[in-house]
Amino acid sequence: MAVPVRTKTRRRQQLEQAMLYPLDWVEERSGLVGGIKYFLFRKVPGDISWGHTLGSASLTAFLVQAITGAILAMYYKPDPATAYESIERITNDLTLGWLVRGMHRWGASVFIILMFFHMARVFLYGAYKYPRELNWIIGALILILGMFEGFTGYLLPWDQTAYWATIVGVNLQGTGPVVGPFLINVLNGGAEIGVDTLSRFYAIHMLLLPGAIFALIGLHLWLVIRLGVTSPPWSPDAAGAGEPDGDGRRPARSGLVRGSRGASE
Amino acid sequence: MSTTQRHKNRRVVERETAYRQYKTDVQSRGKPFYPWAMFHDTVMSLVVVSVIIALACIWYFTSGQDPEDVGWLGPRYAEAADPGTINFVPRPDWYFYFLFYLLRIFKWPDSVILGTVGIPTILMMLLFALPFLDVRRERRLIRRPVAATALLLTAVSMGVLTYKGATAEEATAANQETLDAVMKDNNLPDSTKEGLTLFFQSGCTSCHTYSGQGSANAGAPDLTDIGSQEGKDAAYFKRYVANPREFGNNVMPVFAGLGDENLQKLADFLEASKGEGGAG
Repeated sequence: MAVPVRTKTRRRQQLEQAMLYPLDWVEERSGLVGGIKYFLFRKVPGDISWGHTLGSASLTAFLVQAITGAILAMYYKPDPATAYESIERITNDLTLGWLVRGMHRWGASVFIILMFFHMARVFLYGAYKYPRELNWIIGALILILGMFEGFTGYLLPWDQTAYWATIVGVNLQGTGPVVGPFLINVLNGGAEIGVDTLSRFYAIHMLLLPGAIFALIGLHLWLVIRLGVTSPPWSPDAAGAGEPDGDGRRPARSGLVRGSRGASE
Repeated sequence: MSTTQRHKNRRVVERETAYRQYKTDVQSRGKPFYPWAMFHDTVMSLVVVSVIIALACIWYFTSGQDPEDVGWLGPRYAEAADPGTINFVPRPDWYFYFLFYLLRIFKWPDSVILGTVGIPTILMMLLFALPFLDVRRERRLIRRPVAATALLLTAVSMGVLTYKGATAEEATAANQETLDAVMKDNNLPDSTKEGLTLFFQSGCTSCHTYSGQGSANAGAPDLTDIGSQEGKDAAYFKRYVANPREFGNNVMPVFAGLGDENLQKLADFLEASKGEGGAG
């Protein structure tokens, strides 16, 4: 190391200590700083690439939904008499209201597409295999809850498309044996779509489902960090690749001296 | 190794060894998440947000205030909800099109439950069970023929069903000419003319077909010769349309809102429907 060692003045040391004090205070009481450091500087396989960004891309789309959704909730009125008007007002009268509503509307589609792509990537890489089975299940749950978000959000503009599509959608769920009629009652707040249905869908759409999705995403991410992400299976450098049914160690190949890759970076 | 290890079967030992090897490899040859992976994630996230903003702009600036002015990505909103009239197909958001189209394949009342509950439930169970059905360690797709085939079949069938759902024919507002032709083709008496008009204007053809008109949705049957079915007369139809729940039909909307007079006209029309070339 050719970096010259600079001795810090006493004053500088005091300044640094004062600045770092809040971080130390938080770290001592929560361990959060260490946790974030671990999250940021943990090692990931060297051969992961753009395919592995689909998960965080889905997360970004979900956060866009959460933020635009919170803004929409400030102006939207979940009441059959005023819902349609409040949507018109958001779209036409509020500053950039059309943008927030448009982003929420199209962000929903982007979120669903990205989750499907993410799932396809995980399937393609066989990344759902041991020890990541549980994370696959959590991901599938997030996908299903995300689609229910789409279903409940579709009714909220309270226009003709929304109204009739939801009637048929709810009724179709009602054909299920045993739980069907019960499900209709829960969703509609009665046997038919009525005055309580809209506020019920609204509560499910903006409290119940997002809360569950947030919690599941937290769990999903925790397991990703704990278990690590998989290398592409075709990568000559794949971490942990051994011949199947072999002794679990990859056969020696050229250019694979341990550590050589890391040193060249 | 602990003593319990000895009793584990070979597959379990192998996968545990492989995972330990993975951890070792990542430690020795991996790269730090920050900044390396985080750079990719950040770029991708910016792309995602840009695409969402772009879609919102295209949607807003190509469409107009009028619900008819659909622009490139669809109208800003349809007319306000009106429980009294349906004048178009109850169409879900695009990611439900595959389920929506699935329902055209199954017919009410015999097999519709397969489309509404059966197939979606089986698909969901398969989705959750996947990591337990496929327990081999092999991850290269080329050596996972069953998984590769399943992936291909799922992608193709979802794609085809979504496309078919997206392009599914919508019931168009019937003009007088069409109504007259339907009257003639089915030998309907003049007294059913109002009922026929109601049938075509109250949204029945959004799900039911009649004499080649309308679009089949949600498993709803063709009604061209419904009046020739035994035991089904005007009184039956009136009660059925007013409240399909009474007959165990939980899918069809309740049309009691049409009013007694209109329901009677609809019921008379349905009773007279004996099929094309029928006795009338």
